[in-house]
Amino acid sequence: MGFKDVFLQHPERRYIMFGGGGGVGKTTFSAAAGYWLAAHGKKVLVFSVDPQASLTDIFKKDIFGKGPVPIMQNLWAQEIDADKHIKAYQQEIRQKILDMYGLPAVPEEIENYIQAASAEPAMEERAMFDAVVDVVMKGDYDYYIYDLVPLGHALYYLSMAKVYDEWINKVTKLREEMREYEEMVSRLQHKESEQDQILKELLYIKGRINTSAGILTDKTKTAFFFVLIPEAGVINDTQKAAKLFASFDVPLSGYVVNRVIPHELLGQNIPDYLRHRIAMQDQHLGKLHASFGDQVLARAPEMERDVTGLPMIEKLAGIMFA
Amino acid sequence: MSEEEKKSLWQNIRETVYGMAAHDMSRAALRTRASMEHLFILITMGDLLGIPILPPYYSLRLLPYVVPQIATWKRRMLREKDAADAMFG
Repeated sequence: MGFKDVFLQHPERRYIMFGGGGGVGKTTFSAAAGYWLAAHGKKVLVFSVDPQASLTDIFKKDIFGKGPVPIMQNLWAQEIDADKHIKAYQQEIRQKILDMYGLPAVPEEIENYIQAASAEPAMEERAMFDAVVDVVMKGDYDYYIYDLVPLGHALYYLSMAKVYDEWINKVTKLREEMREYEEMVSRLQHKESEQDQILKELLYIKGRINTSAGILTDKTKTAFFFVLIPEAGVINDTQKAAKLFASFDVPLSGYVVNRVIPHELLGQNIPDYLRHRIAMQDQHLGKLHASFGDQVLARAPEMERDVTGLPMIEKLAGIMFA
Repeated sequence: MSEEEKKSLWQNIRETVYGMAAHDMSRAALRTRASMEHLFILITMGDLLGIPILPPYYSLRLLPYVVPQIATWKRRMLREKDAADAMFG
């Protein structure tokens, strides 16, 4: 099975993810897959959940924090500005406090808490995930292509999603118990019990957390590809990561190899240096096929120049989806 | 007996029965509920006391609803404890 077949045989897999170590070509492949799908009439959004996103570079267009930016017909790209999202969120909370209690200003202690909370490192990551849930839930596109963060970081996200899930379940359970007491008192006093706004919010949060984690592990709608290059270290890391990802139920669709030096060069007058590199890559590719077999779906060559701008993206897409 | 007098008599009986039978129960339930409220704020807003709590992003969503309780909660959490608390607290 080739890379193209995954898309042709499973049109229901609308969430396409590229994961891998730093600098292996996740963004490049996200852009190329987005290009190919858009060229075949699908409405596609390529977006980045990496605070150091590079979609701006690859599409040669300033898209950071600007919402979905049109790249070509059927193709949009988006880089989420987590800071902007956090600021708007804080303001929303402040406004809610002012409105609920008719206060002229947010009490100092509360304001300090709002400020301190946003300094937490987890804040940015959660804001990013929350923004992604917004994007995905709108459902404006046929395909969503996630340009993911590097491996270690992605694993941290996955494990934290489980921790958050447990946290929210415990908190919600406590709140539900509190609700039972409240209802008991209301019954004894023959009063109507009021709706618990906090419980309502908790259920909303739970829904958001489950949506963001759910997409990552949905076997019918998600295709996750590992991007790697034929080098010993990268292959080892990917093998380890694949096991860990599998333990988080991420539906792995296959591997794509990037930066393979073209064999045609061997017929030309090339220096020993390059011959050795080709021999080394051959050896690693052999190992790769031995361990992953037909899960290796595509090989992209080392290109003659940077893959930036649509003509180069088109060229790479043509090779990947051959 | 007019309709209104009947109603008020019924109301009195109801309140007396409630006072004899259920008042203590609802007081105890309300007390447990109040303790749980403080526990709830602790596990969601612990950062306010310097206890790191996991996702501040989500706690912020709940913050507006607990604003009025925060002062009493802090007093209760930070109050010195003694043996009398265990007996009467």
